[in-house]
Amino acid sequence: MSVRERRWDTDAYVVALAVNRAGSHAAAALGDGTVRLIDPADDGAPPAVVAAHGGACLALARDGDGAGFLSGGDDGRLCRIAPGRAPETLAEVPGRWIEHVDAEPHGGLRAFAAGRQVHLLDPAGRPRETMADHPATVAGLAFSPNGKRLAVARYGGVSLWWTARPGPPATLEWKGSHLGVLWHPEGTHVMTTLQENGLHGWRLRDRADLMMSGYPTKVRSMAWTARGRHLATGGAESVVCWPFFGGGPWDRAPLQPAGAGAGLVTAVAPHPREPVVAAGYDDGTVIITPLDGTAAVAVARPEGAPVSALAWSGDGRYLLFGTEAGRLSCLPVPARGPTGGG
Amino acid sequence: MSVIPVTVLTGYLGAGKTTLLNRILSEPHGKRFAVIVNEFGEIGIDNELVVGADEEVFEMNNGCICCTVRGDLIRIINGLLKRKGGFDGILIETTGLADPAPVAQTFFVDPDVSTRTRLDAIVTVADAGHLERRLDDSHEAQEQVAFADVVLLNKTDLVDEAVLAALERRIRTMNPFARIVRTQRCAVPLDHVLGLGAFDLDRVLAMEPDFLGEDDHEHDQSVTGVSLSEDRPLDPAAFDLWFRTLINVRGTDLLRYKGILSLRGSNRRTVVQGVHMLADSGNLSPWPEGAPRTSRFVLIGRNLDADALRAGFAACAAS
Repeated sequence: MSVRERRWDTDAYVVALAVNRAGSHAAAALGDGTVRLIDPADDGAPPAVVAAHGGACLALARDGDGAGFLSGGDDGRLCRIAPGRAPETLAEVPGRWIEHVDAEPHGGLRAFAAGRQVHLLDPAGRPRETMADHPATVAGLAFSPNGKRLAVARYGGVSLWWTARPGPPATLEWKGSHLGVLWHPEGTHVMTTLQENGLHGWRLRDRADLMMSGYPTKVRSMAWTARGRHLATGGAESVVCWPFFGGGPWDRAPLQPAGAGAGLVTAVAPHPREPVVAAGYDDGTVIITPLDGTAAVAVARPEGAPVSALAWSGDGRYLLFGTEAGRLSCLPVPARGPTGGG
Repeated sequence: MSVIPVTVLTGYLGAGKTTLLNRILSEPHGKRFAVIVNEFGEIGIDNELVVGADEEVFEMNNGCICCTVRGDLIRIINGLLKRKGGFDGILIETTGLADPAPVAQTFFVDPDVSTRTRLDAIVTVADAGHLERRLDDSHEAQEQVAFADVVLLNKTDLVDEAVLAALERRIRTMNPFARIVRTQRCAVPLDHVLGLGAFDLDRVLAMEPDFLGEDDHEHDQSVTGVSLSEDRPLDPAAFDLWFRTLINVRGTDLLRYKGILSLRGSNRRTVVQGVHMLADSGNLSPWPEGAPRTSRFVLIGRNLDADALRAGFAACAAS
């Protein structure tokens, strides 16, 4: 199966994992304030340790360029981190936590949230705009795939801002507290995770609502499979994949590929090309499960602590995962074989 | 993974919450606390881990109208839990006008918060010189006393014994669970406010509600405690129906409740406790050999009809 897993016990909560746009490096943001930079293909080198934040890292995203990452922390700082470079502080909001960051590759814009405000920075890192009139603390943000809009999740729905011109945002309203937010790769739908056990979404063409409920717990993780065919989600005993083709997901049952047998899915990461999804569980198990209904392969045994972050390298040859207890692993996964890929 | 105890400090403006907070932090207990405060920056708190909160009360979209949570607490606690090194406890100081219910409900409702932390107790600081008037004119002051596990009757040096005795009687009629501690400048042994496990089911077994007679309701107040007891075993189905109906219909008015029940067909003590519509129950240790199996159920709420509650509870034994 795995050629050789590389594993580091960091002793700090792995808050998030991301891979840069060039696909050369992965970054792990940790609860000790460091960001670890991993070159998945270089199995000789330990991760570079970047001291990024005073307390804990709370947010991580790939930056708009090929190399870098953005991190936010409970020290109120937004940092840019890139391999071989010292960390750079792009913004500082004293006394606030920076829990949400995103960037887009077209105009090189960055966005971060502090309290009820979202700040937009230009490619040089200068403040460009403040999006301020959110009715509650910002709980999630995401640039649209073309970078022209910014979706901001908060209590009561989502605010949709245009990034090029100021002005009041369009709003997508739905009762309840909206947490994470995700655009369909074609910009057609906006999805949110909720405080309740489920998801909400909107088809932007006609504002049609999507309500996905029935989960046994809060959904902490969602991501699109290749070409946006399925929305893969955690929050249940197996990955739940909602079809976004052929008229779906309305009146279509979700796909539930084989699970680990016990526990609840805390993190999902669809393979960038193959129809398989990696899933992390609340007991530390990690599986790779094919969407064609064949058996899942366990790639990490349960060690007790929940899987808190999961990502594939850009070429899909490595799976990276981290746990709340600080296990950080990089696992080579053959393109064919146990994953049933190809 | 260790479960972190959370203590909630409530009390009307100027009652002494910040004094209590600083007292807890400055005692030589060797413990590290994360402190969540409102009105951040206006008060001096000597602690490295102080986080400002915004008191964002969110309605849960789950069909339960009184089910509200503090969205800011969910966010902050989840953020704090990511920090390396951690801490031994969390102290939450609410604003003087805060309703304690959304704070308490957060610890029942959010799966991440309820897994990693537990609500230890709600401690209410009351200014002995002003409590009487506050209870007459402030809904929030009533809720803070009704929800309390401990009431610190503070600034006792500023009033005489007769006033204190009357205040204690009034607190009792509203909240028979609460331990009342008289203090000056919030000087209280820390084991009176920390490590109480007031929301743990097994602590309900030690419940010794302190009731005054019905005639002691000298104040025409809307928040009262009602104590029910029954010597005959309760029919499980009848109790379940009565209790579910009660919390569904009267959940908004029911603030807190605790019960130790003897159910027909069971040797174990069934324990119930809850806040509004959120109830927690379990079958705990067997009844002691030879001891009377008296079911006791104590409810604190607004506009409770004691006679109707008594009749409904008794009917659970009759069927």
